[in-house]
Amino acid sequence: MKQFIHLVINGLPWEGDVQVNRTLLEFLRDDLGLNGAKQGCDGGECGACVVMLNGKPVQSCLILAAELDGSSITTIEGLNDDISRIIEEAYVAVGAVQCGFCAPGMVVATRALLEENPDPTPEDINNAMVGHLCRCTGYVRTVEAVQYAVKRLKASEAREVRTNVR
Amino acid sequence: MYDDLIGKGVPMVDGLDKVMGRHLFTADMQLPGMLYGKVLRSPYPHARIVKIDTSKAKALIGVRAVITGRDMDFPRYGVAGQRILDEQLLAGDKVRYVGDEVAVVAAIDPDIALQALDLIEVEYQPLPALFDPREAMQESAALIHEDQDSNIPYKINFTRGDIEQGFNEAAVIVEDKFYSPLHYQGYLEPQAAVADCDARGRVSLWIPMQAPTLGRGTYANALGIGEEDLRVIQMPIGGSFGGKLEYKLHALCALLSRATRCPVKMVNTREEDFQVGLPRVPMYIKMKLGVRKDGTLAAKQTEIVADSGAYINYGHAIMLSAAHRHDNLYRIQNIATKAWLVYTNKVATGCFRGFGNPQIHFAYESILDMAAEQLGMDPAELRLINSSQPGDVTPHGWKLLSCGLSDCIKQSVAASHWKEKRAQHTDENERFARGIGIGCCLHVSGNRTFLPDWDGAHCVIRIDITGKAVVSPGETDLGQGSRTTFAQIAANELGFNIEDVSVNLVDTDISPLGLGTFGDRATTLGGNAVRMAAIDARNQIIATAAEKLDLDPADLFISGGICYSNSHADIKLPVADIAKMAYYKMTGGLITGHGNYAPPDVRVVDPDTKFGNVSAAYPFVTQISEVEVDRWTGKVRILDMVSAHDLGRTLNPLLAEGQVQGAVAQGIGFAMMEDMGIKNGVIANRNFERYNMPRISDMAPLTSILVESNDPNGPYGAKGLAEPAFTALPPSVANAIYHAVGVRIKELPITPEKVLKALQEKEKNI
Repeated sequence: MKQFIHLVINGLPWEGDVQVNRTLLEFLRDDLGLNGAKQGCDGGECGACVVMLNGKPVQSCLILAAELDGSSITTIEGLNDDISRIIEEAYVAVGAVQCGFCAPGMVVATRALLEENPDPTPEDINNAMVGHLCRCTGYVRTVEAVQYAVKRLKASEAREVRTNVR
Repeated sequence: MYDDLIGKGVPMVDGLDKVMGRHLFTADMQLPGMLYGKVLRSPYPHARIVKIDTSKAKALIGVRAVITGRDMDFPRYGVAGQRILDEQLLAGDKVRYVGDEVAVVAAIDPDIALQALDLIEVEYQPLPALFDPREAMQESAALIHEDQDSNIPYKINFTRGDIEQGFNEAAVIVEDKFYSPLHYQGYLEPQAAVADCDARGRVSLWIPMQAPTLGRGTYANALGIGEEDLRVIQMPIGGSFGGKLEYKLHALCALLSRATRCPVKMVNTREEDFQVGLPRVPMYIKMKLGVRKDGTLAAKQTEIVADSGAYINYGHAIMLSAAHRHDNLYRIQNIATKAWLVYTNKVATGCFRGFGNPQIHFAYESILDMAAEQLGMDPAELRLINSSQPGDVTPHGWKLLSCGLSDCIKQSVAASHWKEKRAQHTDENERFARGIGIGCCLHVSGNRTFLPDWDGAHCVIRIDITGKAVVSPGETDLGQGSRTTFAQIAANELGFNIEDVSVNLVDTDISPLGLGTFGDRATTLGGNAVRMAAIDARNQIIATAAEKLDLDPADLFISGGICYSNSHADIKLPVADIAKMAYYKMTGGLITGHGNYAPPDVRVVDPDTKFGNVSAAYPFVTQISEVEVDRWTGKVRILDMVSAHDLGRTLNPLLAEGQVQGAVAQGIGFAMMEDMGIKNGVIANRNFERYNMPRISDMAPLTSILVESNDPNGPYGAKGLAEPAFTALPPSVANAIYHAVGVRIKELPITPEKVLKALQEKEKNI
């Protein structure tokens, strides 16, 4: 069974039929070819599939696409503004990425965190990232990456740059 | 060497692709007309297959193939150079663990494939199952592999020196038993494969695989086809930690593609990945250590029962590593070791960071602390007295050309304020107690214990006419960053900017036939081959330029991708121009550098005595951990860690420290959190919710110290790093807990329940 829905995906309108049993993650990956969100577990335990739904980070494997009519979704592919680029560069610069499987989810979560809280404490960062498993890095640099991004954002005043995250 | 890139913290060359979600993994692949494969697995730990009926599954609309172990005579095969061939792609007569592969299905979508699995009717006759290797190894035990004489496919028995004399000299003898559990690699990318078969039956196989060349051989054997009929293309690897070596799913995907002549994708669910991964080999270890009055180690006797699970896989080699690697850490002459690899009706086990070494070092480093206490000696001092030294040739014939263990101990002791903290003791009545503990280990850089023919590395570097270098190594990047290190080495020798060097993944049709990445061999062996290939290419570039300029090659050098002359300051010839000259001169050929490296003086161990210098270079580690133990709850919190690593030479501090941090985090999981709980052969905690891996909130501050002992065999002196960084953490925590509250936990993981129970028992005995 299918349902007709309207969405805004990465800033662009989309409309069409989706299978009612399709998760948002399956819809993004298998129907739209947006492969940046990854499937690391069987549901809600690893954070690799995190995308933004109406500006908030969500585990896309736990949501049915058919229920999202009228929503706005931003995936890692849609994070192409200056702030996002600074976050991405910070992850690479401090070495907070190794294999890269968990990284897109973490970057999306970081983007959402800084939208809400531009100057997070280490504890805020821990709280924002506790749902994200990373088996390679040991997380020390996850905190450093977020802090480094904040520092660079402050320095560049890139916060004033228009963003496309909705 | 003209541009000093060695020792620079170059960020990962493919880092931006990864964080931007553009690094495509196997599960992201789509091919036209692709089918989806699924596996029917045994629900019984041990059963005979009486009947299989696939007619209903085959009749389901959308199903393209259903194959069982009875449809063809699958050849027996094994991995890692072993002589006992105990595996088949699909079970024909018997299943040996819950998850054993019984049938595979290919269908036009994953849901139909799953439905088809439900329609396959299998009648099983359950057999009594063996879950404890100590029972399975008894002569009276039923056979898990009926064509073998016992459930013990491999035994090790060696002695060095005079064990009796050694114990006679001992002032202190300690003896105890230790255990380490089934431990899941926990890579974030589940196992996956895509296969595509051409009209002649040749299969291309896209897999996240640490050792594509080894895989090609193994899978060809398993499928009963020639190696030439298989092309293995390494996909980006989403974490592996040893778990992504030979894996049955890869070959099953090729099987389905050959049967359907269509591309086929197979991806494990996380639950399947837990059930049928190849986790760390559990070991029961009995160890007896004699120490002389002056603190020198007199004798050691060890017995290991290694639980292989249903198949051997790499178990024989892992058990050998556990049996003899730790003997080379400290100076000890009198050694007697016995070990048994035992089949049980559980998931087959395999390689995981450390390769048997973490299991045995937990025992050895714990028992050293027990001996130190009896001698009234500082445990760090005991280790320092016995530490191996550069130039040592150990009783196993290992040649330690470099050894920074003493420095690791001294520097970590200083950085952790060991002496002050060791002297502190909290009052027994206080709820929280602090303690500090130490652990050491060594590892290899390439490991010649199981591959009889060759253990070297080969690299090809091609200089494009645009003046860019393309490096094709035989070693894979698992996410640790070997593409970056190889780019650094190549750029450094070529005199190129690192942006002008790219590093390929391995493709067995194109890349040199390297063995891949395991046993900490990539940097040391692969790095040497890259360096040699880059020097070869550089010499060709310079020779071409020298001819053109009519100058002596020794007068020319390359820096930043431009060729300069020492004698003529005006000469600035871009490498792109030189590469074009060579291209025309060779009528379309490109400058191509080759590097072949085989470590000198390394040989495969003697099959009986296990004697022989197994590796090019040996890295060493000291780990110090400070903990706080809650006497009320048994909960242990790590407060601070210092980790000192003799890695020979730091090629890239950013990546090197990243390896230490990641390994230590994984070590915390192994030490305190992770245990695959098996009940009647079923892994109960087969998801990330119930299998407790460290999260960001479980971390503690870590200081890493990189000790450079400059190994003569390493490229620029570099040795392995990623595996030993893991191994020393668990015993350091166990020893710190003992220092804090006086209880010794000998079974991993050290959970609050175990600590609390031990505290209560200690209370009773007072």
